Amino acid sequence: MIAFDPTTPAGTALALLPEVVLSAASLVVLLVVAWKHQGPADSRRAGWLALASLGLTALALVWVAANAPEEPGLGLMVALDGFRYFASALILLVSAGSVLASLGYLERERLVAPEYYVLVLLAVVGLLFMVNAQDLIVLFLGLETMSVAVYVLAGYNRGSTYSAEAGLKYFLIGAFASGFLLYGIALVYGASGTTNIVQIGAQFGEAELSLMAKLGLGMLVIGFGFKVAAVPFHMWAPDVYDGAPTPVAGFMATAVKTAGFIALARVLYTSFQGSVLVWQPIIFALAAASMVLGNLVALAQKSLKRMLAYSSVAHAGYLLCALWPGTPLGMSSLTFYLVGYGVTSIAAFALLGAVGRDGERDVTLGDIAGLAETRPWMAFALSVCMLSLLGFPGTIGFIGKWYILSALVASKFPLLAVLLVLTSLVSAGYYMPVLMAMYMRPSRAPMVFFDRGLAGSARVAVAVGIIAVLALGVWPGPVLQLANHAAESLAQTAGQIVARR
Amino acid sequence: MLLGPSLAVSAILFTIGVAGVLLRRNAIVIFMCVELMLNAVNLTFVALSQAYGSSGQVFVFFVMTVAAAEAAVGLAIILSIYRHHKSVDLQQINLLRG
Repeated sequence: MIAFDPTTPAGTALALLPEVVLSAASLVVLLVVAWKHQGPADSRRAGWLALASLGLTALALVWVAANAPEEPGLGLMVALDGFRYFASALILLVSAGSVLASLGYLERERLVAPEYYVLVLLAVVGLLFMVNAQDLIVLFLGLETMSVAVYVLAGYNRGSTYSAEAGLKYFLIGAFASGFLLYGIALVYGASGTTNIVQIGAQFGEAELSLMAKLGLGMLVIGFGFKVAAVPFHMWAPDVYDGAPTPVAGFMATAVKTAGFIALARVLYTSFQGSVLVWQPIIFALAAASMVLGNLVALAQKSLKRMLAYSSVAHAGYLLCALWPGTPLGMSSLTFYLVGYGVTSIAAFALLGAVGRDGERDVTLGDIAGLAETRPWMAFALSVCMLSLLGFPGTIGFIGKWYILSALVASKFPLLAVLLVLTSLVSAGYYMPVLMAMYMRPSRAPMVFFDRGLAGSARVAVAVGIIAVLALGVWPGPVLQLANHAAESLAQTAGQIVARR
Repeated sequence: MLLGPSLAVSAILFTIGVAGVLLRRNAIVIFMCVELMLNAVNLTFVALSQAYGSSGQVFVFFVMTVAAAEAAVGLAIILSIYRHHKSVDLQQINLLRG
C-alpha cells in the first residue's frame, strides 16, 4: 500500500512526518515551559511532555514505515529505507531512557530548569535528520542541530565548574570537528558535482578516486571520528562525560554515537561503495587504535564515570570493526550491536545517576563496596550492565560481539577479529572489579552514595534496559531479523546505483 | 575562472584555522579560528559554484546560519566559564584531565 509519493512536496512532508511531529512537539513543550517554569512540578511536567512527544514521534515513524513506498527514492534528500526506521526507533528508545533517568536526577541536583527537556527534544530532531539524510547538506544540518543543543546540555549545570568546563570542551571540539566534516562535504561536492549521497555513489562508481575525493573522504572520516569518539579523536570524551550531568553523558554515549555511526555507515556504503579498498585501511586503523587504547586506559581509571567513558571509546572500536567488512552482514551486525550497546549503556548511566549528589562528583570502586548487601537490586542491575558491556554469554553484548566476529570472519579478515577478542579479554580487567567490589567487599558504613536509591522513573528505564539485555541475550531472533532487514534495504539502495551505472 | 587558485586559497585558510585551534590557548581565539575554518569552506563552495551552478552558493547560506547559531551558543558557554575561572585561558581551565 502506497499512501504518498515522496517526489511531490506534500509527499516529502509526509516522508518527514516523525521529524515534523517532533519539531512541532518540542515547540509546544517550549511554550509550556515559557509559561510555567518555577518549581520542580513544572520541571516534571516538562519531562512527561517530552516523553509523550517522543511517543507521538514513534507513532509517526511507524506510520511512515508502514506506508512509505518500498523503493528507495533516488535523488531524494531523505532516505525511505528500513535502515532509517531501525536507527530512528533506536534513537527514540534511548532518548526516552535518558529523559526518564533525568527526571529524578535533575530534581536531586536541584537543577530546576525545565528547558532541559526542550533541548533534549531538539537534539533528537537533529539526530533523526542525521539518520534519514540522503544528502550531505541535510546530514550536516542535522548534525549541527543536534550539536548546538548538546553543547548546552553538557554545560547545563551552570553552578558546577566541572559542568561548565565540559560544555566548553565539547563545544570547542565539536565545532572543530564540524569544520572538518564540512570541508569534507565541500571536497566531495567538488569531486562529484552533487551532494546527494546516492548520486555521489553513482558518480564515483568503481573508478579510482581523484585526490580531491580522497581528501574529502578523509575529512569526513575525521569529522565523524570526533563525533563517535574514536581514537585518536577521543580526547574530549572522558572529560565531557565526567563533567556533564550523568543522563546527558548517557545520551551522548548512546543516541549521539548511534546517529554518528548510522550516518557514517550510510555515507561509506552508499557514496563510497566502489572504493572500499580506500576506506578499509582507515577504518581498520581507527578500530584497532580505539579498541587497544580505549581498553588499556580504562584499566587505569579510578572514577566509574571515566571508566565508562573509556569503555565507550573501546565500544566505538568494536563498532568500527563491524563497519569494516563493507558487506550487508557487517552492516547488520553494526545495527544489532548499536541496540545492545544502547540499552546497556542507558541503564548503566541511569544507575550511575544515583550518585554524585551535592558536588560529590567522582564515584570510585571503594564507594560501591558492599552494595549487594544494602541495595541488592541495584547491584544486580549494575552487574548485568557490566557483564553485557564485557560480552558475557547470556547477555546481548555477547550476541552482538559474536555477530561482529562472524561478519569479520566471513570477509576473511581474522586480524581484527583476534584484536576484538583479545581487547575484550583485557576489558574484563576493569568490568570485573566493579562486580567484585559490590559482592565481595564489606560495605563501608555509612554509605556515601546510593543512599537514596533511584527515583521511580529512572527505575523504569533501568528495568526496561536490564530486561532487554537479558531477554535479547537469550532470544535475539526478532531484533536480529529487523537488523538484517535494515542492512538489506541499505544494500538495495547500493544495488540500484550499480544498476544505474 | 580561477577555480584552482581559489580552492588553493581556501585550503590555506582552512589550514591556518586548524593550526590556530591546535596552537592557541585562548577560548575566544580558538573559536575565531573555527570560524575561519568554516569560512574557508564557504569560499570553497562559492568557488565550486562556477563549475556546478548556484547550489554551491545556496550551501553558503546554510553554513552561515549554522555558524551564527554556533556563535550564539558558544559565546554563552565561554561567558559561563569566565564566571567560574575569571579567565578564558584553557591552560587555567584544567579541572578535568584526560
